[in-house]
Amino acid sequence: MPTKIDVQVKKDGNPFGAHRVLEPKGVLPQPAVRVDNNMDYIYDNELLLEVETLNIDSASFTQIKKECGGDEEKIKAMILKIVGERGKMQNPVTGSGGMFRGKVLKIGPKLQGKINLREGDKIASLVSLSLTPLKIEKIIGIKPGTEQVNVKAKAIIFESGIYAKLPKDMPETLALAVLDVAGAPAQTAKLVRPGNTVVIIGAAGKSGVLCAYEAKKRAGCTGRIIGITSSDSGLAKMKEQGFCHECFKLSATDALSCYEAVRKVTGGKMADVIINCVNIPNTEMASILMCRDGGIVYFFTMATSFTKAALGAEGVGKDVDMIIGNGYTKDHAEITLNLLRESKQLRDIYEKLYA
Amino acid sequence: MTATGPAIKKGGNPFGAHRVLEPRGGLPQPAVKLDNTTDFIYDNELLVDVDTLNIDSASFTQIRKECGGDEEKIKAMIFKIVGERGKMQNPVTGSGGMFIGRVEKIGPALEGRTDLHAGDKIASLVSLSLTPLKIEKIIGIKPGTEQVSVKAKAIIFESGIYAKIPADIPEKLALAMLDVAGAPAQTAKLVRPNQVVVVIGAGGKSGLLCAYEASKIAGVAGIVVGIEYSKEGCDKAREFGFCDHVIRASATDALDCHAKLTEATGGKLADVVINCVNIPNTEMASILMCRDEGTVYFFSMATSFTKAALGAEGVGKDIVMLVGNGYTRHHAETTLNILRESPAIRAAYEKLYA
Repeated sequence: MPTKIDVQVKKDGNPFGAHRVLEPKGVLPQPAVRVDNNMDYIYDNELLLEVETLNIDSASFTQIKKECGGDEEKIKAMILKIVGERGKMQNPVTGSGGMFRGKVLKIGPKLQGKINLREGDKIASLVSLSLTPLKIEKIIGIKPGTEQVNVKAKAIIFESGIYAKLPKDMPETLALAVLDVAGAPAQTAKLVRPGNTVVIIGAAGKSGVLCAYEAKKRAGCTGRIIGITSSDSGLAKMKEQGFCHECFKLSATDALSCYEAVRKVTGGKMADVIINCVNIPNTEMASILMCRDGGIVYFFTMATSFTKAALGAEGVGKDVDMIIGNGYTKDHAEITLNLLRESKQLRDIYEKLYA
Repeated sequence: MTATGPAIKKGGNPFGAHRVLEPRGGLPQPAVKLDNTTDFIYDNELLVDVDTLNIDSASFTQIRKECGGDEEKIKAMIFKIVGERGKMQNPVTGSGGMFIGRVEKIGPALEGRTDLHAGDKIASLVSLSLTPLKIEKIIGIKPGTEQVSVKAKAIIFESGIYAKIPADIPEKLALAMLDVAGAPAQTAKLVRPNQVVVVIGAGGKSGLLCAYEASKIAGVAGIVVGIEYSKEGCDKAREFGFCDHVIRASATDALDCHAKLTEATGGKLADVVINCVNIPNTEMASILMCRDEGTVYFFSMATSFTKAALGAEGVGKDIVMLVGNGYTRHHAETTLNILRESPAIRAAYEKLYA
C-alpha cells in the first residue's frame, strides 16, 4: 500500500522560493542564512521529495572532513548541525552545496500538468543544495571514498528549480556523474557550427571529454577540434579517445605558448569557439588569445576572474564574445545523458573513471 | 634635430611580449617591469609623444591619499612608479588609465595597415597598465581632475587600440566619451528592433549612452526600461527621455526589480539586460529580469563570475551572460558619433563630465 502523503498545501509561493526565506527577510534562498525547512506543509508551487542520497559538493566535503579530522561520526554530526541551523545543506565556510537524489512524494497542485513528473518518480536535483530546504531525520552512512551521504530526509524543490528524471537504462551512479557536468556539453552543442575550429581547454577531463565529443559531432567533417591538456597522462588519454584532431600538452596559464600553438596549426586564422573547462586560475588570457576576432569564448571554469577576462580582452584589442558558463540550459540533462547512449566509447570512459 | 628618428628593430610580438623584462615570457599587463626605451621601436609599434595622462580613478585616489594630497609628492610618486616599472601601473590597485598624444612614428610593418599618420592626435584606448612609458617631465596636475600634463613618450603595441580625436569634438569631451566607449557600442550590437531592453544605471555616465542606443535600435515598438537607485538618477533618466519606463529600485534587490519590471511591462521580461552599475551583488536582479533565452550584458567591473554562473543555475534560467568587453570593433567611432546625433547628450556630457 502506498504511503499516504498528508501535507497541508499553502498558497502564493514565490517561483524562486523567496517565501521560504527566514533570515534575512526579502532575499533569495541562496544568499539566505536560514530557510524554512518545515515539511508538514508545502506551497502549491513546490515539489516535496524523499531524499535518499546527498552528494555534497567537493569543496564543502573536503572542508568538513578536514575540520572533523576525518572522523565519520563527527562529519555526520556536523552535517546535522549545519542543516539544523540553516534549514539547508550550505557549508558556511565554502558557501557551496551539492545535489541530491530522491523520490517525488508530492507535487504542488499548481505544478500538476505543467511538469513531466509523477509521484514516485526517481530524480536527481540539478539545483544546488545551497538553496534547497532540507530536513534530515537520520544520517544512515557515508559511502567510503565518496562525498555521498545516505540519509532519511525530505527536501523541497521550488518552481524555478531544475531536476532530471533518472533514466532506467543506466546505473544511477553513472547518470549522476554525467549530470554533474551536464551544462557543458549541452552549451557546446548550442555554440558550435559546422566547419568551426574549436579549442577545448582541458579536453581530457570530466567535462572536457564530453565537450570534445559534442564539438566534433557539431563541427562535422569540415570542422577541426583542438584539445589542450597540461599533463602527459591527459595527452595520452586525449589521443586514445580520438575526439580531437590536434592534441597539445600546454599549460593554459601560458597564454603566449597556447596562442603560438593554435596560430601555427590554423595558419593564423585562430579558433571560432573556445571552451574553457579547466578549474585553475589565470587561464583567461590563453582563452582570449586563441580566439579569432568575432569568435566566442565560453568560460565553464568557476576559477574564471570576471575582471581578468574583461580587461584582458580590451588590453589586446580582441573583439570576442566572452560568455559566463551557465550550468543550466534547456534540456541539458537529456542532451547529456543521451551522449552515453550515442557513444559506447564515452560510456566506457565514464564507467571506468567516474561511476 | 632628429632627422633620423628612432632605430627600428624586428621581430616584435603583436601583444608586446618583446618589451617584457620581468618576469620573462609573460604579457605586458601582468609584467612587473617593461622595457620603456624609446630610442628604438619595433617595426610593429607606434611611438607616441604624450601630453596628458588620464590616471585611472582608483589609482589616482590611492596615490593622492598616500601623498596626503600634496601635488609635489604625487608627481614624485608617479615618476617613481614609471621609473621602476616602465609603465604607469599602480602597484597597489593594479590599474592604469589612458593617455592623449601625437603620433611620432609608425613602425614600418604597420604602414598601410593603420589609418594613422604621423602628427595625428590620438587617445589610447588600451590601459596604461600595459603601455611602455617614459616620462621626461611632469608639467602639472589639473586641479580637481586625474589629468596629468607631461612631456613623455609611449609605445602602442600592434594589438593595442586607440582613437583619433575628431576635429569637431573638444579633447576633454572626447575623452569622457571614450572612457565608456565599449558599453554603447556593444548595446548597439546586441539590441534588435521591438525588443524589451533593461538598462541598470540608466542615469549614469555609460548607462545614459546605452539607453540612447537601445532606444534607437529597439525602435518605436520596443520598450526601454531604465533602473536607477536614487531619485536624482530617476529624474535624470526621465529628463533625457530615452527610457519608456524609469523604475526606482536597488539593483541589489533582485525580487523588487523583477516585480517592478513585470508591473511596468505588463508581465514581459527583458530580451536584453545591460548592467552598468559599479556595485556588487547586482547579478541576480540582472538574471531575474531577463527572459529565458535572453541576454545579460555585465559591464560592471563589480560583477562576480561565480555569483552570475551559480545564480542562473539556481533559478533555472537559460540565458546568455556576457562578460563586458571594453573593446568591440569601431566602438570609438560609434560612441563619439552619439555626440553628433544627440544634442541632449552632448549638452549633458559637456555639463557633467567635460
